[in-house]
This record gives sequence, C-alpha cells and structure tokens, in this order.
Amino acid sequence: MTLTVARQMLGAEILKVGRNRGVMAFALLLTSGVVVIYFGYTAIEHASNPLLNAPAGGIHGFTRGVRSLGEFFGMLAAVLIGAEVGTADLSSGVFRDLVTTGRSRLALFGVRLPAAAILSLCVSAIAYVLVLIGTFALAGGTATPDLGLILQGAGWIAMANIVVGALAVGVGSLTGSRALTLTAVIGWQAIVTNLLVNVTSLGSARDVLLTPALTNLMPVNGGDGSVFMAATTAVIVVCGWLIISQFAGAWRTETQDA
Amino acid sequence: MAPSVRCAPEAPIAPAADDRRSRHADHVGMSTTTANIIETRGVTKRFGARPAVMDLDLTVPRGSAFGFLGHNGAGKTTLIRMLLGLTTADGGVMRISGRRVPEERAAVLARVGAIVEEPHFHGHLTGHENLRIIAAVRSPEARGRIDGALRRVGLSDRANDRVKTYSQGMRQRLGVARCLLADPELLILDEPMNGLDPGGILEFRTMIAELTGEGRTVFLSSHLLDEVEKTCHAAAVIDRGRIIAQGPISELVADEHTEVDVGCDDPYAALDLLDGHPAVAAAHATPDGVRITLAGVDGAASINSRLVTAGVAVSRLEPVRESLEQRFLEMTSRVGGQS
Repeated sequence: MTLTVARQMLGAEILKVGRNRGVMAFALLLTSGVVVIYFGYTAIEHASNPLLNAPAGGIHGFTRGVRSLGEFFGMLAAVLIGAEVGTADLSSGVFRDLVTTGRSRLALFGVRLPAAAILSLCVSAIAYVLVLIGTFALAGGTATPDLGLILQGAGWIAMANIVVGALAVGVGSLTGSRALTLTAVIGWQAIVTNLLVNVTSLGSARDVLLTPALTNLMPVNGGDGSVFMAATTAVIVVCGWLIISQFAGAWRTETQDA
Repeated sequence: MAPSVRCAPEAPIAPAADDRRSRHADHVGMSTTTANIIETRGVTKRFGARPAVMDLDLTVPRGSAFGFLGHNGAGKTTLIRMLLGLTTADGGVMRISGRRVPEERAAVLARVGAIVEEPHFHGHLTGHENLRIIAAVRSPEARGRIDGALRRVGLSDRANDRVKTYSQGMRQRLGVARCLLADPELLILDEPMNGLDPGGILEFRTMIAELTGEGRTVFLSSHLLDEVEKTCHAAAVIDRGRIIAQGPISELVADEHTEVDVGCDDPYAALDLLDGHPAVAAAHATPDGVRITLAGVDGAASINSRLVTAGVAVSRLEPVRESLEQRFLEMTSRVGGQS
C-alpha cells in the first residue's frame, strides 16, 4: 500500500464518520457543551456570592476542565466516535464491498484508529480551547496554569482520548455492533471500573484497570486517589489496553466472513 | 436511467481487452488460458455438515456476458463470495484471469468490480462521497473515474444527494458505478436486476451489452431467466451446489428432440395422415393444429408435403424453441428427482 493510498483511505474514514452529523454533534455537546455549561454555571455561582464560591477559572477550573475532557465527557465523546469508526463499515454492509476491492483487511482496519484519533482530538481541541479561555478569563485573580502545564494537560487529554477511542474501535471491530460497543465500553469505563476501584480487597490487581492508570498519569492533581501506581506501571497498563484492543479488532477484521 | 457510453475524459474507463498471459505454473493440472476469465475446479464449501457447493467446475469465457442460474440456496452466492475472498473454500482451485484466488486476490480483484447480493452504502453520505470511499481504497487513479462512472449510470444529477434518498434502482446503478471505478475486466453482479422496473431492466440490459462490447466480462447471477436469455451469451446452471449444465445459451436451450408446430384447419385429419409417417416420432393435437416430434433433424418438408397433398390447409410450420426458463426447470427438476 502506497502512502498516497494510505492517505486517501484515512481521508475516506474521516469523511464517513465526520459527515455523520448526529455523532459529531453529540461529541461536541459532550465536550464543548459541558465545558461551557461548567464554566458558565460556576461563573454565575461566583458572581452571586464571591465569598462562598471560588472563581470559575484559574488552576481549579483548569483542573476540572482537563479531568472532564480526559476522564469523563471527553472519554464519552471518544467512545462515541471510536464505536462509529469501528462499526460503520460492518453495520452498513459496506465492509463487504471494501473487501472485494482486494485491499488487505488489515489495511482496512489499520486506518480506523488514526481516523478515530484525529476526529476525537479535533473535538477535544475545541473544548480544550474553551477550557483555557474559561481558565484565564474567569480566573478572578487566582493562579493560572503556565505554558508547561497547559501543554501537559493537552498531551494527557490526547493520550486518554486516543486510548479510550482505540478501545472502542477495537471492540467495535470485534462486535460489529455500535449499540453493543457503546454499552460495553461505557459500561466498563464508567460503571464497572469505578466499582472495581472501590473493592480494596482486590489490591494491586486493580492496577490493570485503564481509568486508574490514566488518572495516575494526569499532570494536574485531580485524581480520586483510589489506586496509586508507579508511572511506569501506568504506561505499561495503558499500552497494554491499546495493544490488546487493536489486536482483537484486527484479528476479527481479518478472519470474519464479509 | 440514460446510460451513456462516455466516461470521464480525464480518466477513461478503458476497454478491458487484456492479452496478458498467465505467468503462473499450473500446479493442479488445470488449464489456465486467458480465454477464460474464471475457472474453478473441484471447489467445495460446507456450512457445518451441509454442503453448499460440491466439487464445482465452472468455466467463464472472457469478454462474454455469462449467466449463473440456480434456485435460492443452490450455491450461487456462496461461489461468488469464495471468488471474491469474502469466505474461504474448503477445497478446490479457483482462478480469475489465470491467477489463483484467494492467494493472489489483491492483484486479481484490483480489476474486478462486484455487487454481492445487493449494493450497500453509507446512507448519510452522498452518492459521490460513497464512491470516493471505495475509490480511496482502490487506487489513486480510481478517484478520477468517479464522475465518468456516475455519468455512465445516469446518476450525475443525483450525485450530491444522500444515498438514503435513493430508490432501489438508483442504488443498483450506483453499485455498478462503484464497480466501474476499478476499470474492471470482470464485473460480478449478483441479482443486479432485483427491484428494477421494466424500464430499468431494459437499461441495465443495454448497459451490460455495452460493457461486454468493450471487452469486459459480465458474470451475472440472476433468478430472472428470461433476462439472462436476453442478456447473456452463455450460462451455467447450478443446482444443490453442483453445476449441472453450462455452455452457450443456444446450446443450453437446444433439446435432443426437435419439435415443430403445424398450424392447420383440421388437426385430427392431420394426425390421421401423419400416423405411421417415417419422419414423425410422436404427435398430438393443439388448439390450432398439431405438435410433432420429429424422428430426425429433417422431415418437416415431407410432413408439409403430405398434409398439403391430402388437402389439409397448412397455415404455418415452425420449430418449437424452448425457453431457457423451461430448460432450467427441466434440468433442475430432473436432478431433484434423482436425489
């Protein structure tokens, strides 16, 4: 496969999901919409009673915004996009037509993660800009993040979105069902993981969970602190989730009847 | 639909008359001439214990419109799916353009366009965007063929509408346009006339004739036997996973018994006169005359002479030509009766 074909395929993958207005609108709502609502609400709170409520921006607002985009609503948007990328060809029946072109199935799978990553990062980037605007415009004289922290925050959000999006792409390619993928990934990340994190008897077995690993790599102090692990361990866990999800999706794409 | 014979001048869909010779050794003793674009030998596929295709030998001549006939579940789509690498065969050898599939499927399928069962698209994208997606997967040149392909199937004016607003017939045409992006030497069309109205079927038939006229091969699976007879040069009949007949349409519809219909004013007098005639193997009355099974290939003239001489007024005398549909039903029911 030439670089030109790879670029074309990536563009096509972005086109087919990017033009899905429902998915993209909901992803924007989950990221930018939530950021606007958060800063708007806390700004009103602060204005109504400055003594009782801290300013919406500053380090505190930045931390909340970063965590929202990397761990909560940004994660949901990444799963939404990843599930769509992973299942769009299968659920529409177009996968069969793509296979009949003679193009390698692994190549067809291989462009899915980059496409999901690009779309997720575009959505998160818009929301991150809004976070920064809120952080500085609504700081109210409190401390604001320096450039280093801003870049670290962006990097962490990007990493978290890519990994969670990859998980959705892998599960989507494995199941072929968007509904099943959304239920499984969001259920795992938002519900099951939180339950397991709080089962202290599991001890270090909880280190294999994705969310605690991501939280431990967060550059700002915003984690819930339930599971501590070394940064090296966290990186290994994150890479493990990335590799396993992609392997599962690639295997299924390669072996399934089209 | 008003199919045009023109394609995008910037990236013409060239005639596929391709003289390249197979460079591959014949590992299994199967002829690999490029005169045949599809050759299968001993192809078998089972779904669990149930055989879907059994020991299937098929030869499709290059540059023809070839019909592939069979009842539902006979194995037509299963064979097509195996040829296209959508599912694996359990045994046998398949070649397209002299190259083995699935081993060389990437090279082979680069010049094959296919619609399997029915064309699928992303409904939220326009027709043009759907073609862009397939073109991106095919080759850098394929994108330049999009406008020409849309023109050819008569969808230029709807190219920027979302596919979910298309009719079934328009989707079929868009499916053909998608096939043309490959500049195909072989088009595999599985039931392409499903859902088309009579006008659409006629246009489709014309398009297939144009495609074969350019040297392309059209492999057409269809239930519409009358359409296959009108559209195809040759055909194969598959029944319960086995090929039971294949060859030119004229040979498939030919019967070992030659029959003639004789139109006359007194059928019963004619039957009496022909009783014991050496050229007559059998005869029976019809509403407007008699139908005679000839004992040999000749004999119609002597029968006519006998009747006219005896005073029976003969208004017509014509050979009975069976339709492909009649032959198909005869062949498949005969096989069914043996099992």
